[in-house]
Amino acid sequence: MQKTLKKYFVIFTVPTLFAFCLAFIVPFAMGLYLSFCKFTTVTDATFIGLKNYFRAFEEPDFINATLFTVKFAVIAILSINVLSFLMALLLTRKIKGTNLFRTVFFMPNLIGGIILGYIWQSMINAILYDYGTTLVANAKFGYLGLIVLMNWQMIGYMMIIYIAGLQNVPTDLIEAAHIDGATSWQTLIKVKIPMVMPSISICLFLTLSNCFKLFDQNLALTAGAPSKKTAMMALDIYNTFYGRSGFEGVGQAKAVMFFLVVATIALTQLRFTRSKEVEQ
Amino acid sequence: MNTKKTVNHFIFVMLCGLIVLFLTPIFFIILNSFKGKLFISDDPFALPTAQTFAGLSNYTNGIEKTNFFAAFGWSLFITVFSVIAIILLTSMTAYYITRVKSKLTSAIYYMFAFSMIVPFQMVMFTMSKLANSLHLNNPWGMVILYVGFGSGLSVFMFSGFVKSIPIEIEEAAMIDGCTPLQTFFGVVMPILKPTAITVAILNAMWIWNDYLLPYLVIGVSTNYKTIPVVVQYLVGSYGAKDMGAMMALLVLAIIPIVIFYLACQKYIIEGVVAGAVKG
Amino acid sequence: MKKKVISALLSVAMVATLLMGCGSQEAAPVEEAATEEAAPAEEVAPAEEAAAGEGQVYYLNFKPEVDEVWQSLAAKYTEETGVPVKVVTAASGTYEQTLKSEIANANAPTLFQINGPVGYQNWKDYCLDLKDTDLYSWLLDSSLAITGEDGGIYGIPYVVEGYGIIYNNAIMDKYFAMDGAVVASTDEIINYDTLKAVVEDMQSKAADLGIEGVFASTSLTPGEDWRWQTHLANLPVYYEYKDKKISDTDALEFTYSDNYKNIFDLYINNSCTEPGLLGSKSVDDSMAEFALGKAAMVQNGNWGWGQISGVEGNTVAETDVKFMPIYTGAAGEENQGLCTGTENFFCINSQASEADQKASIAFVEWIFSSDAGKAAVTNELGFIAPFSTFEDDEKPKDPLAQEVLRYMADSSKTSVAWNFTSFPSQQFKDDFGQALLEYAAGSIAWDDVKAVVVERWAAEKAATAQAE
Repeated sequence: MQKTLKKYFVIFTVPTLFAFCLAFIVPFAMGLYLSFCKFTTVTDATFIGLKNYFRAFEEPDFINATLFTVKFAVIAILSINVLSFLMALLLTRKIKGTNLFRTVFFMPNLIGGIILGYIWQSMINAILYDYGTTLVANAKFGYLGLIVLMNWQMIGYMMIIYIAGLQNVPTDLIEAAHIDGATSWQTLIKVKIPMVMPSISICLFLTLSNCFKLFDQNLALTAGAPSKKTAMMALDIYNTFYGRSGFEGVGQAKAVMFFLVVATIALTQLRFTRSKEVEQ
Repeated sequence: MNTKKTVNHFIFVMLCGLIVLFLTPIFFIILNSFKGKLFISDDPFALPTAQTFAGLSNYTNGIEKTNFFAAFGWSLFITVFSVIAIILLTSMTAYYITRVKSKLTSAIYYMFAFSMIVPFQMVMFTMSKLANSLHLNNPWGMVILYVGFGSGLSVFMFSGFVKSIPIEIEEAAMIDGCTPLQTFFGVVMPILKPTAITVAILNAMWIWNDYLLPYLVIGVSTNYKTIPVVVQYLVGSYGAKDMGAMMALLVLAIIPIVIFYLACQKYIIEGVVAGAVKG
Repeated sequence: MKKKVISALLSVAMVATLLMGCGSQEAAPVEEAATEEAAPAEEVAPAEEAAAGEGQVYYLNFKPEVDEVWQSLAAKYTEETGVPVKVVTAASGTYEQTLKSEIANANAPTLFQINGPVGYQNWKDYCLDLKDTDLYSWLLDSSLAITGEDGGIYGIPYVVEGYGIIYNNAIMDKYFAMDGAVVASTDEIINYDTLKAVVEDMQSKAADLGIEGVFASTSLTPGEDWRWQTHLANLPVYYEYKDKKISDTDALEFTYSDNYKNIFDLYINNSCTEPGLLGSKSVDDSMAEFALGKAAMVQNGNWGWGQISGVEGNTVAETDVKFMPIYTGAAGEENQGLCTGTENFFCINSQASEADQKASIAFVEWIFSSDAGKAAVTNELGFIAPFSTFEDDEKPKDPLAQEVLRYMADSSKTSVAWNFTSFPSQQFKDDFGQALLEYAAGSIAWDDVKAVVVERWAAEKAATAQAE
């Protein structure tokens, strides 16, 4: 069978590979090369070695954006996961209306980042207006706003994954714990949480990579204001490319470093989940 | 058991409170989309009164300024055709590289898997330059780019599933005289349906909401702007002037998603969970 | 099952096509109001065909406030000549950014603008030499054009503008008639101290004057802050350059920082909006406040007339709209006039096809020489055009342009040059603007703002030098 199928290489794979090369392989290779070049368009590149990488750190913007991203990610990941896990616990208690709750909590996840960002921008501004200030007046507001927004968007999503995990916990295991006289708190800590560990690691990494790659919401909510204090890495890279002239190479160098960070996170996740699977 | 009932009762009330909290932003924009633009900042959480009620003028304004229906049409066009192309092409590719074992096919597989971990910013600049020099700045060009960009995750998910299909079924079909294409569409594709739905939903959600790729490739000067691009464009240049139109546009932008979601809720939730677990 | 799926998909596709069709048809009558003309889908193809032979124009407009005028001018030109003209307006404060992503597009702008020598350095690869065009020969003062190192002409200014403090004379007269008015006429306001005394006295009598504040909102929304980080910032830089007898510098000391603070504090503390809320205000908002009589003064240029006269329920009489210079407490400011100059230079995309370049030049020349074009320039755009094709009676008649012309003709007043064309980059201006926003909101002190200006100026000058 393999032999006959083999002759169909062109029909089965070439259309996808063509699009894939166009949209990914070629731009990726070019991007990697151009990060070592000085250029304004892709055709006028001259090789300058690592200079772009040094220049990326000459100004505080990139480091600030990285720090802000980390600061944002830590709090957002913790709050999203804790809250969504709690809600998943509540929704697996067979309460009436569970389906309706699930439907509503999940919905924000489907709304695009740009639209989401503006919804929250207008609402936060409306609230702050009564206190005589605005979202862009202080970086604290933008920071908290982003965290609330991300929670709103991702809690439902993570909750669904936790629900799926909790439903897979065998009921006899929980009953056995009850018979042994375990309180519900003990059941939670000793039985449920260990059993949903795979879901937890999936959710942790999903939130982590989503927080790191966040762009649309950031652009729409504050666009980095005030003074780029709420700009995250992706937005900083975008601004370096398109906000100014002569910085294309620096932007590309930042993008390569950003890629390395995101790839490290993804690979760690892969390792982590693989080893977990083996343990079970 | 009585205590459990009261506890559940309490939880029910709490969840209802949470629902209200969750829907507040949505209510907020709906409410204000019916107020005159000068009154929105006065008392943003109040219901429109006779004085502040603006009828549908915000909606007509927003629609006129952005040519919203055209944007809706292009968003739909790009999403629908990209998803069809992705399902068709990547399932074929995934089938081929899973069934034909060679160094080349496994190299291809790893390339697709690799592309999943690369953030868009890495290729943003070079890709949009390349796309423009090849004149892909139109809806069909966008379909090609989305196939290229979506192929990583899609091929990955399809191959995972193809591996689990017993090869005997295909072999039987081949012995019956089916060509590989007939085998694929007649035998394999129907089995792949659940995965295809998952892949379709994940890609549709991403493409429908995507902002940066259409903004960079299509730009703001053509008539092919998608919904996220017009929202950003309206708010960026006119938002400060016309809060009313902005609110109306935000409401309009989420209506299609909510309808789609309510109609295909089951598939969406399942698809997203499956995507998260496998991806 | 398969059939069902296919028919469902087909119907979706049909709905999509239908919607696109009606969307564009509905938009047709309101084309001028739309941000860009949406040519009905069916007409796109023929237009592109025509373009292959005769060239077409794509103008990326800088001024959002006159977007509609450009749209109608473009439509009129297409009607007369058949040459397709597309006008797209960049969102406020994002012109460079939009130009950058658009110029990389296959259908790049053929006509765009730069803001002066600094802009030319960024865009010189895209600027066509315009030395042999009629437009250049019409320029009244050819030294205003942007000249490259090779002697070519790469940017041609198309408007002379002036800005200062616009005031509502009716409200001022009402104040002068009150008991205990600090001065008796606006003619007596010739320096910062007098201005401050008058403004603060007026603010304390705001209720009696029927205003909410003396100054309209100091709009500090990102992208809406150019009146402060560019125009107002011009004054301290002008005086510093004057002291040092230079026209550009790599290291600004911001020696007139206190003068800037003087006037900025006066603006934000005697305003119809609390300082903390200024981050939500746009230029349009503040022009509307002035037009509705909620404020007596607003800093802006003569281009703002359209925003005043266009406001619904506008209470300001045309004869009451006047200009006064911006006083900051600098020595010798008694003779200071308005700030006049230009930061709008037309450039033709040198990388566009020759046909498109020719079409773009022809379009611009039509605007500044045909009767229809000139009428729109004078009456609708309100431009004081620096070209010999305009007769004396073709100067704009709106009150602000008249005031600018009056100040320019007054030999006792010295106009302040537009030195902000030497500001290092848009990035510098944005950083400055955001620092002002944080200062107004009380998040940082004035010394921090001063530090931002000095540091960012040096850093951006160095960065742009390195980028070349």
